[in-house]
Amino acid sequence: MGKVKIKRKSTLIDMTAMSDVTVLLLTFFMLTSTFLQKEPAMVITPSSVSDEKVPTSDFVTVLVSSESADERLTPEQRQQEEGKVFLSFAGSTDSTYSSPYVRKRILEKAVSIYNSQHEKQKIELDPNQIQAFSGIHMFGVPFQFLPTYLSMSDLERDKFQKNLSDPNMGIPYDTFNKDPKSSRLNELQIWFRAIRETAEGISKDRKEALKASGATDEEIQQMEDFKKALQEGKGIGVKADRNTPWTVVARVFDNLQTMSLNKFIIMTSLASEDN
Amino acid sequence: MAQIEQSDKGGKKKKGAQKKMAIHVDFTPMVDMNMLLITFFMLCTTMIKSQTLQVVLPSNDPNVDKKDKTEASADNTITMILDTEYEGINPKVDEEGKTMHHIYWYEGTVEDAIAKNDLHVTSFIGNENKTARGIREVLQNRNEEILKEYKALKEKWKNKEITRDEFQELAKKNSSREENKLTVLIKPGPNTTYEGLINALDEMQLAQIQKYAIQSVSHEDSVLIEQTNPAFIKAPIRQIIEPASKAAVPAAQPAQ
Repeated sequence: MGKVKIKRKSTLIDMTAMSDVTVLLLTFFMLTSTFLQKEPAMVITPSSVSDEKVPTSDFVTVLVSSESADERLTPEQRQQEEGKVFLSFAGSTDSTYSSPYVRKRILEKAVSIYNSQHEKQKIELDPNQIQAFSGIHMFGVPFQFLPTYLSMSDLERDKFQKNLSDPNMGIPYDTFNKDPKSSRLNELQIWFRAIRETAEGISKDRKEALKASGATDEEIQQMEDFKKALQEGKGIGVKADRNTPWTVVARVFDNLQTMSLNKFIIMTSLASEDN
Repeated sequence: MAQIEQSDKGGKKKKGAQKKMAIHVDFTPMVDMNMLLITFFMLCTTMIKSQTLQVVLPSNDPNVDKKDKTEASADNTITMILDTEYEGINPKVDEEGKTMHHIYWYEGTVEDAIAKNDLHVTSFIGNENKTARGIREVLQNRNEEILKEYKALKEKWKNKEITRDEFQELAKKNSSREENKLTVLIKPGPNTTYEGLINALDEMQLAQIQKYAIQSVSHEDSVLIEQTNPAFIKAPIRQIIEPASKAAVPAAQPAQ
């Protein structure tokens, strides 16, 4: 028997093809996906057969938190995290990065409404805090806590938002006021009114005034798009968990109705007709 | 990394002739880096965009004229009372993982229903073998004519005879026809979850019902339910725990 000769082969594998594939995959992911937005509360939206997509621009999201999913907490503690309301404002073109102007205007309006209704507890924001607000995607704190919240660094803010049961989390909407012109609006209603008035304040002569105050054409265009979206009922979306009791969400709906924002959209996930 | 291999297959070479070189570039680090990037994009981004459902609620304004309000005739009205079963503080789910929603429905006025002891119980079953079941069967049977037309339109759209926009417009016209008289009153009970209501709104869309309203359960409705279905009262409900303190403590202004 002859000796079997083992041929020595190089172990080098040509990685070029592999590289091609990964680059293709990478391109695919970069083009098709959008970045996850940080939200203070995780919700699973109910499913629906409606297949309209969420608008990415000129859009206000009203997030209603659900009870905590943490099994270690007692039922009381879990329910304390339920029904907190958060808001996010998105301007045109891109949902996060190009809407500082809209945010600033809404903030100014909301603070001025709040101050006119609470003479004794006026809040004041410095330019740095207003600047900080324009960079925040989603927020939900009472007006009295707003200056403190806006002075926090990003890290502190993240840490603060982790604890949903904090009494300063969520925009309060406890008082049942049904009159949109009332001088005792609850805080959520103040925000809704600010959104409405900011969007509606764009008439012709207002435009001139805005220009005089240093707004660029692009910024004015943003406001006009926002107004149009609100009128069509595509400017406000409510996002709530499917297991949240209707009574909790109904209070948010009720506030929207009171502030004449009764045309809005509900965020859902897609379901097939058969279910 | 890049290796230059000499090919010496040809045995002896002529003097002065250039050596032929094959260049191999090792792509392994490149692949490593790409994989890392892919992982990053997969974890930090989302591809599923949320869907939306448009709703129009009546205004809360008490100054709205009576004449602007639409009146529904009793014989074309279906009232759906929604209810969800609970287990502790979470909704109860069946074997398939679907939340247990119940629908109590009656036709016409609540007084008639009480007199006739006429209340039906069903749930959101959806389609079974492509036929509508549960509440969907009830609603779609009532709206048969409109739906027939709607399906014909949908078929046309699928066969690319009309565009999506045209289809939506025609479907809208179709569902707002004179014959579409059916009015549905959706009444979410105190135990209903948000999902229950969305399911009901979905059924409206599937049955092409234009006129529907969300209302709260009236006293007569609960009388009717109590009279016809005492089990409803005994069904486990959600434990409601009142929050201890609602008032947020105003935070002090930070020192500037």
